[in-house]
Amino acid sequence: MAFSFYMPDIGEGVVEGEIVAWKVKEGDTVALDQPIVEVMTDKATVELPSPRAGTIAKINYHDGQICPVGQVLVVIEEAGGASKAAAPAAAAPATHVSTQLAAGLPATATPSSTRGGMTATAFQGKVEVVDLTAGRARVLATPATRRLARQLGIELGRVPATGKHGRVTSADVRGFGAGGTSSSTALATTTSYAPMAIAAGGDEERIPLRGIRKRIADNMSRSVHTAAHFTYVEEVDMTDLVAVRERAKGRAADRGVKLTYLPFIVKAIVSGLKKWPALNASLDEATQEIVRKRYYHVGIAAQGPQGLAVSVVRDADRRSIFDLAREIERLGDAVRTGTATRDELTGSTFTISSLGKLGGVLATPIINFPEVGIVGVHEMKQKPAVVDGQIVARWLMNLSISLDHRLVDGWDGAMFLQDVKALLEDPTTMFMEMV
Amino acid sequence: MAASILDRYFALDDDGRARGLLRVLDEDGAPVAGAEAWLASVDRALARRLYEDMLRIRVTDARMMALQRQGRIGFYGEALGQEAAIVGAAAASQPQDWIVPALREAGVGLCRGMSLDSYLAQIYGNAADPTKGRQLPCHPCDQPHHYVVMSSCVSTQIPHAVGIAMAMRLAGKGDEVAFGFMGDGGTSSGEFHVAMNFAGVSRAPCVLICQNNQWAISTPGSAQTAAETIALKAIGYGLPAVRADGNDVFASYLAVKHAADLARAGGGASFVELLTYRVSAHSSSDDPSRYRDEGVTEIWRGRRDPLRRLRTWLDGRGWLAAGEHDALAARLEAEVRDAIARQEAVGMPALATIFDDVYEEPTWLQREQLAELEAWPRVRAPHAH
Repeated sequence: MAFSFYMPDIGEGVVEGEIVAWKVKEGDTVALDQPIVEVMTDKATVELPSPRAGTIAKINYHDGQICPVGQVLVVIEEAGGASKAAAPAAAAPATHVSTQLAAGLPATATPSSTRGGMTATAFQGKVEVVDLTAGRARVLATPATRRLARQLGIELGRVPATGKHGRVTSADVRGFGAGGTSSSTALATTTSYAPMAIAAGGDEERIPLRGIRKRIADNMSRSVHTAAHFTYVEEVDMTDLVAVRERAKGRAADRGVKLTYLPFIVKAIVSGLKKWPALNASLDEATQEIVRKRYYHVGIAAQGPQGLAVSVVRDADRRSIFDLAREIERLGDAVRTGTATRDELTGSTFTISSLGKLGGVLATPIINFPEVGIVGVHEMKQKPAVVDGQIVARWLMNLSISLDHRLVDGWDGAMFLQDVKALLEDPTTMFMEMV
Repeated sequence: MAASILDRYFALDDDGRARGLLRVLDEDGAPVAGAEAWLASVDRALARRLYEDMLRIRVTDARMMALQRQGRIGFYGEALGQEAAIVGAAAASQPQDWIVPALREAGVGLCRGMSLDSYLAQIYGNAADPTKGRQLPCHPCDQPHHYVVMSSCVSTQIPHAVGIAMAMRLAGKGDEVAFGFMGDGGTSSGEFHVAMNFAGVSRAPCVLICQNNQWAISTPGSAQTAAETIALKAIGYGLPAVRADGNDVFASYLAVKHAADLARAGGGASFVELLTYRVSAHSSSDDPSRYRDEGVTEIWRGRRDPLRRLRTWLDGRGWLAAGEHDALAARLEAEVRDAIARQEAVGMPALATIFDDVYEEPTWLQREQLAELEAWPRVRAPHAH
């Protein structure tokens, strides 16, 4: 008999787990409680023991894939076959409830016009409808509102709702009782669009949007829809810094450090942030306060094995160039090998997006929300430049900065980047500012 | 003849006891100098019983962790490495006493007679659960054996223990002692101060026991307090303190017994620190490899293991040969397996029970909500057991 092992919630409230490594393969025999797979969640990396003795019939999620809680992780053909089978996965009747729940994504706020719907946060994945009674639509209201409706003899289900998540408010009830159809004073604060459906057409592949890709998508759209982005680009003459780095490379190598340009850029940016505190800030939307941070945790955005990852150099203002180089290298390795901890991937106050040789000429980087600034570092190459009236070959590099115009004016942004440019073009000034 | 280790330890002043460490068996299960006479008075049945209780906790915990990873129960916190402190303290209690646990004392309940079935019913939150499935798994209660339900809120239970003791004295129940447990983390809370102060001032019949396992989730003891030992804190409150090796079941028993005897004799409250180590993760939601050196943990898992220590001593006396040990382990495994099978077969509590126990009579609002709830389509996830 086939036993379906559903991905359990192995922390308190985790929604998915990444498969780190299978310890068995399809066709293998497993004993009861034998460790079969290592799974990483937001909270912990743990081994899952087999809930049945038998043979591994089918592995649904492979190494590196994300398995949502409640999905069938593996099917085990039970030895002996005496145990009763789990409910067949295809048995779910198609009702509006199961369809909505089967979407597997947290439900958005239920609009008031479709109050009969049910939010899906409690269950992920496919569900089985045990009992469907044609009851009246559920009405959301506080006990005080229910009491009011009862006193006024009003059936709550008939009152148009204006409250959060489609809740009927006391004002709605009074307005309805006074003869109006709605007492609506609350206005919708956000515009929402119906989800864009893409009709099937031609040779296509459909990849579920989930895991890291989903998080990137959510974060990027939130940033673009919230921050008022503007981008400013400046060219930096790196020739002097090239010479400095060349001289320091040997000393760095003696200490086992690979010295790139990035630590110098971090140093210059931190120096600029100290001078222009508006750029090392966030907007607390709840309290309508600008939070200026006196700590400097610099995010380094780079391509990881699963997509974009921002590793965080903590307290970058208190680190030497060698220390920065070592930390950047260590974090880069951690991202590549998937061993970076949550702390190493969160908490930045300003971000640098470094594409190295793929840096191109200019970009419009998207801010790592809720920060207010991001600097894109472009490819450094030798180009003709005019120095003292002569055309000479110089090492030139562009920096593109995107800023949130809600908090940062063009003046501050431009002055910041000019300061960074000045420090990089004359590295001796950078050392003057070092702690 | 050398003075007995017990006489020497209890002859120390408060400061000496709070800085010292009472130990009967060393890490390799050999009697420490001066403990031989007391050990000679230990009978076989008692020693075997202590070992069996410790092994039951270990076997149960291991099975529960596996069930959690299989999605069959929602949450678990094991007591791996702390079995001696738990069983030692339980053995020092009498049936009429009250146990007010922190989070790693379910084993105290089991030792006092809470059935495995009752314990598992709470973990499954099924219809047989005395708390009707309302608590996080691993939060048992057992009224018949005076085991009070635990709260996940750190240290809120310590004032309860002192309050229970004060109430019992007012009621004239002179032979009942309240055992209030806490972890090392709990001793940094305001409630700890409140409880210690009232315990000292009221001289109520209670024993406040800290299982110092050196980790409050990810906070190490060194970041928890600047005090040299936790037991030293008791002195400021005017409470006698005893500090014992929590991985030595005999020392744990003697320390708690001493405190309980004092309380029962009208001598008031006292404080016991049992020094041990949390070998496991804090709970099934925790991953200690992210914040501590697991090389250290291996020492506690290996040479300092409390079961190994007692087993070596028992074996040395010819009281627990390898064959007997294996038979005992197999019996306990079977007990747990059978209890799991029974409790997995019990259904969930009836939906209507979620409205119980709020008011003596349900209000119109509750009746209306219940009617609405019962009219609503019911769904359940197929992986729910």
